[in-house]
Amino acid sequence: MEPKYVSQEMRDYIIEMGAETITWCMQCGLCTNLCPWRLVPGETSEKFSIRHMLRLGQMGMEGFEDETVLFACSTCGMCQSNCPRGVKIIDNVRSMRASIVGAGMAPANLRPILGSAHANGNPWSGPREKRTAWQEGLDVPKFGPDTEYFLFVCCHSCYDPRSTKIAKSLVKILKHAGVSFGVIGEEESCCGESMRKLGDEELFQKLASSNIELFNSKGVKKIITTSPHCYWTFTNEYPELGGEWEVIHYTQLLAQLLDEGKIKLSKNISQKIAYHDPCYLGRHSGVYDEPRKLLSSIPGVEPVELDRARELSLCCAGGGGRIWAEVPMGERFGELRVIDAVEKGAQMLTTTCPYCMNMLTDACKTLEKQDVLEITELSEVIAESIEA
Amino acid sequence: MEKKMGLYICKGCGIGDALDVDALCNIGTDEFNIPICKTHDKLCGEEGVNLIKADIEGEGVNSIVIAACSPRVMYDVFDFGSDKVLERVNLREQVVWCHPPQDEDTQMLAEDQLRMGITKAQEMEPPDPFIAEDMSKRILVVGGGLTGLTAAKEAAKAGYEVVLVEKEKELGGYLKRIYKLPPATPPYEEPKDVGLEDLIGEVKSNDLIKVYTGATVESIEGAPCMFDVTIKHNGNGTTERVGAIVVATGSVPYNPENLEHLGYGKFDDVVTLQQVEEMFLNGEVKRPSNGQPVQSVAFILCAGSRDENHLPYCSSACCVEALKQAKYFKEQNPDCSVYIFYKDIRANGVYELFYKQVQRDKVFFVRGDVTGVDDDGSGKLILTAEDVLTGSPIMSESVDLVVLATGMVPTTALGEPYKVPTAEEGEEIEVPPDTILVSNILNLKYRQGPEIPALKYGFPDSHFICFPYESRRTGIYPAGSVRAPMDYARAIDDATGAALKAIQCVELTSQGKAVHPRAGDMSYPEFFMQRCTQCKRCTEECPFGAINEDEKANPLPNPTRCRRCGVCMGACPERIISFKNYSVGMIGNMIKAINVPDEYEEKPRILVLACENDAYPALDMAGLRRLEYNPWVRIIPLRCLGSMNIIWIADALSKGIDGILLLGCRHGDDYQCHFIKGSELANIRMTKIKETLDRLVLESERVRVEEVSITDYNRLPQILNDFAEKLEELGPNPYKGF
Repeated sequence: MEPKYVSQEMRDYIIEMGAETITWCMQCGLCTNLCPWRLVPGETSEKFSIRHMLRLGQMGMEGFEDETVLFACSTCGMCQSNCPRGVKIIDNVRSMRASIVGAGMAPANLRPILGSAHANGNPWSGPREKRTAWQEGLDVPKFGPDTEYFLFVCCHSCYDPRSTKIAKSLVKILKHAGVSFGVIGEEESCCGESMRKLGDEELFQKLASSNIELFNSKGVKKIITTSPHCYWTFTNEYPELGGEWEVIHYTQLLAQLLDEGKIKLSKNISQKIAYHDPCYLGRHSGVYDEPRKLLSSIPGVEPVELDRARELSLCCAGGGGRIWAEVPMGERFGELRVIDAVEKGAQMLTTTCPYCMNMLTDACKTLEKQDVLEITELSEVIAESIEA
Repeated sequence: MEKKMGLYICKGCGIGDALDVDALCNIGTDEFNIPICKTHDKLCGEEGVNLIKADIEGEGVNSIVIAACSPRVMYDVFDFGSDKVLERVNLREQVVWCHPPQDEDTQMLAEDQLRMGITKAQEMEPPDPFIAEDMSKRILVVGGGLTGLTAAKEAAKAGYEVVLVEKEKELGGYLKRIYKLPPATPPYEEPKDVGLEDLIGEVKSNDLIKVYTGATVESIEGAPCMFDVTIKHNGNGTTERVGAIVVATGSVPYNPENLEHLGYGKFDDVVTLQQVEEMFLNGEVKRPSNGQPVQSVAFILCAGSRDENHLPYCSSACCVEALKQAKYFKEQNPDCSVYIFYKDIRANGVYELFYKQVQRDKVFFVRGDVTGVDDDGSGKLILTAEDVLTGSPIMSESVDLVVLATGMVPTTALGEPYKVPTAEEGEEIEVPPDTILVSNILNLKYRQGPEIPALKYGFPDSHFICFPYESRRTGIYPAGSVRAPMDYARAIDDATGAALKAIQCVELTSQGKAVHPRAGDMSYPEFFMQRCTQCKRCTEECPFGAINEDEKANPLPNPTRCRRCGVCMGACPERIISFKNYSVGMIGNMIKAINVPDEYEEKPRILVLACENDAYPALDMAGLRRLEYNPWVRIIPLRCLGSMNIIWIADALSKGIDGILLLGCRHGDDYQCHFIKGSELANIRMTKIKETLDRLVLESERVRVEEVSITDYNRLPQILNDFAEKLEELGPNPYKGF
């Protein structure tokens, strides 16, 4: 075998892109062992080893730019939260992607996504002016100087027909609870979380500064997000770019309102409901209890705890830009998740992230389990329960 | 000693319920005519102890047999002074706790154990400790490096006089040529200053420490507390008397000339860790080939270590030394390219934090064997390796310097094997000789050779599991990297440990007591010289070289070198060696005291000779866990299986005992014998037992040796029962009733 060449220049370039901890890795391989890719068969599973990818990165060696390898990680954080060396594995993955994407070599299937985000401020090829289409007939308040909360609706829930139900449900609940909130509208842009994970640093910077400028100019102080991804980037990435607000995921706010007696859950929903922890709300943000509290407060609901729950939750495969990946049937993490819920006897699998809902819905259809398991987003269930 | 016996039988802990204690009492009275035989419900209580004390005071009892729990417990309660004879009969752990109560066979077992105990007490005498004239409590430390200086300092701190001998003109040893030490304080991320001057200053200014520099040990004669050390310095010889010795002569780096495959000798820019230390110490970090500064460097760990062709072992400190030097280069220039090629990074404990820091400093770590060190054409060097972590061969960028991390060779390994003068041809037993290398460190005037015996690879440790610092020469304690490969921090711990060992030795020896592992024992072997045949078996078999010989080849015992294991007693074909409280005759009579029923009763008898250190406690533990085994066994504890004299086998078999089971420690490379060679010697002697059996026309299966460690208690019932089954197959010993 021809020897591979170590390149300090390449290694240092990746570090400069943000992989500051890549040299901390001692190659124990715990990451690979915990990776959800080990749970499914197929070509990607065979080719992708996060330990090996980090090894190539830390030696500046060629080989990691193979698209199947470089873009396989869903940034679920299972490896990172257990790494004995405290290596920020997701930052390293992001930086390795950035070293390729930044040089104009994004994979073909991602170009339309990144292009749409550039042009329309959303990755879903939706025209900017259609961003508020979901609000039709709802009388959603506009954010103004006297509004307390700015409600930031994830692009997915603005454009994806199934996902708009999340935004609609949440508006209904917030109104029911008498919360002072409003939306800005067409000028909002995608939070850019997934764009950055895909390695398009420039695009992320553009989207983030546009949002920061907009929010600050409107006098935003407090933000409610529908998606844990927006929540995470607003909390962890925006502050150093000048976006410093009090950010809250809607489940946190609703749990608080429930305590204060401002939400009345009256309609009985007699179902066994399992909760799927989204990676970005759970492992990445540490929010585990509020969604469970909301779920168990709904009259009639029998909550079902999955075996892989909380810190050990199994990724739906929608993070890190994987929501746009084409994955053959039988290799999707979401399918395992649906089986988890069915085996536990749940009638509904609910979650608190539009990406998770999307991935789990697909998986449920693929497995033809729609008859036994319904996939929902928690806001929908709550909205239904306040109806009576 | 005019003996007045007293027998005390305890009824507590279930003994009284399981056994007919009155019948036991009658054995004392009727069979042995013991004037005072008493029972008590709880002998270890205040009332019970006072009962015995009252008899000692009032009745003049001076030989006491206590039939109660194991002698391994309550030894402090049943201590009536060393001028009394005391024998404990183990009725609890080895009788009532592992055999059914109110049973004829259990009762017979108890009666036999009692008969044996009384017999032994009748023959024992209180030990008379060996105390010589002019015993010294000073401690000799050989070697003035980190370990030696620390040992001297620590011994002096405890109030002991120290004589320190260093062969170089200056104290300091290896540390003198070291730029910095690995981190020793939080956050463990930076190398620290050596601080050698402080340590040297402390030693030099201490009035209790006498320092000889530029000096060597020309010879050491004598024994613990009576070592006469001749020190050669400035061309003169001086003699110092010391009590114990700490050997701290350290190690030397493995010879890099053997590492041509890694480029040493082929390229000037391939150097060793030691050369790099000197570069930084002198402030001249340059490429040896052209004097240019070093901008990039590659370390090769395990250079000639963990390698069958070189040093097969790990030297444990080189990984951290290389990490430390990588840090030197990074501190000098953060952009310096540093590679570390390794097999495993062994950075234990807090060094893990240091390793992390060096990773943060962006050092390249390559796991795998280096397959080539070559000139890149411009005079720089390129390394190729099989990188385990990418599963492919890889090639480094060009580097200015390659550093080999070589392992440690103990100074005790630097010498030719010593040839022990062997006994005459035709000798009965061949004992495998110890490895003694003539390394010119101690120059002992011992018959067995001039240095301490070595284990594998020339390290002189005596027992790697249980007893660090112990050597096979009593009173001589190796510490630091001469004992085992180790780093600075561990060498400091080691030095302190060895100093404490030396102190224990001089204290115990000066009171006539044995050192570890029979610490406190005041008996010692006595030789009935008129019957000695000068066969040399005792001198050769003693694991500790305690026995010299005179010009007529008579054995010359050195009681303070003795560990009281009794190996000499087991070795002596004339049976002239005995202790006041342990002898061939004594154990022989215990065997004869066993009541052997005739063959028609179908009650076989098995003699178990059990090593006191592991097998006997394991038997106790079997009792503690109420594990049951056959009631035919009669157990006699031995100081070491090596003290087993073959005559006992003949005694037992000719008495009609059906089988003999020897329970000893594991021997071989991973031996667990407390006296190093005892169980091995017993095994060698057993190979000769066949002649005895043939003479008696008996099957050789009637004698069996089993290796038992202290944790093997759960295997014991099986071992004992299997043997009983085998004996049943063979049928009764035909000598029964003769």
